[in-house]
Amino acid sequence: MIHAAFDPVTLATPFFILSIILEIVLARLGKADARYEAKDTAVSLTMGLGSTVAGVITGGIVFAATLWVYQHRLFTIPMTAIWAWVAIFLLEDLTYYVFHRLSHERRFWWASHVNHHTSQHYNLSTALRQTWTGGVAGTWLLWLPLAWLGFPPAMIAIQKGISLVYQYWIHTEAIKRLPRWFEAVFNTPSHHRVHHARNAIYLDRNYAGILIIWDRMFGTFQPELDGVPCNYGVVKNLATFNILRVAFHEWIAMAADAVRHPRHALGYIFGPPGWSHDGSRETSHMIKARVLGPKVPTEPEREAA
Amino acid sequence: MDDAFFVQLAASAAAVGVLVAIAAWAKIAKPAGPLDEHKARELLEFEFPGRRLDAVWVASDGAGALARSGGLALVICTVGDGFAARQIPWAQAVAASFKNGKICLDLADIAAPRATISLPSWPPKDLAA
Repeated sequence: MIHAAFDPVTLATPFFILSIILEIVLARLGKADARYEAKDTAVSLTMGLGSTVAGVITGGIVFAATLWVYQHRLFTIPMTAIWAWVAIFLLEDLTYYVFHRLSHERRFWWASHVNHHTSQHYNLSTALRQTWTGGVAGTWLLWLPLAWLGFPPAMIAIQKGISLVYQYWIHTEAIKRLPRWFEAVFNTPSHHRVHHARNAIYLDRNYAGILIIWDRMFGTFQPELDGVPCNYGVVKNLATFNILRVAFHEWIAMAADAVRHPRHALGYIFGPPGWSHDGSRETSHMIKARVLGPKVPTEPEREAA
Repeated sequence: MDDAFFVQLAASAAAVGVLVAIAAWAKIAKPAGPLDEHKARELLEFEFPGRRLDAVWVASDGAGALARSGGLALVICTVGDGFAARQIPWAQAVAASFKNGKICLDLADIAAPRATISLPSWPPKDLAA
């Protein structure tokens, strides 16, 4: 097993447990807005537990690949320099944006990431509903350029951990809006509620990890609208709490489509989720066009609305 | 994998059990009550926007609904305190098995294998064709 010198996720685990208890108790006392359903919570937490096991199994390969790339690095970036931490903070967060966008817009990677979105709830336990198949999906390759640039593997692992821990606390309905300057720069509960919502206007928006600026820069930002309450889950919600179906359903469905339609296999594997060769299904883009009209409103138009 | 990993895994599994028990104790699920005709139509409109509803059947226990929309059957079934929706060919819905006041619909979806809806009778004689 590989231990990072400093693992933010391991250190934060007691905080995860205590904060979930706090959210439940405050909701029970009517002091916070949170909804928990026992089976849903069990699935979320078991997925989280399973993902740590899966991470250990594939972690060795990921670490070895990162180390190999680091040995062929362009520069040697010191872990002790403040500028290096600022640089990796920005570059890792940008990498996360790319990873997250890819994970929503291409079915092969969606098959792995969909797990995180299958809950119809949005609470702190949802944050822990993590994939079991991230290693197989290979999205970890996206972080290798950081090692090639010369960031030490431990530094990359620590920053990835910090990002994961940051993204935990934003999975809540208990926190409404934060100060305007914070909402402008950082990913917040409000922004991430939009990301988890299945309302047409909210689909495929707010991919940010820590900084929401990437969504604003690349045109994928959508503010939470008071008149459109978030409806959580996926476009076609799961009708089961079977953990194996939750973990693998999209992989199985994708493979079945590819086998049924071999001539269109590439489209079913690497097309956007919902793509079909005969147009019998809908992608997020098609749903938006159907529900919102052919011209999806721009950010200023949405804010004005 | 060393012993510490398995100790950590066992502790985490125990923590999961405790958290699920607390969530069950709190009884703070979504307050969605059983479906009635109005709620069912609202839900169908949300899940299948713009679809014409020729007829709607609401489960006698309020835990689901079924609608005919042309050649399609629109199905709503409960999942915990939420709902899932799927569409299947109308003919498939008509041919579904109906036993003990329950229709069992094969949704042919790995993520939603089947839906069971309590109805007084099935299929409806006037819309079976």
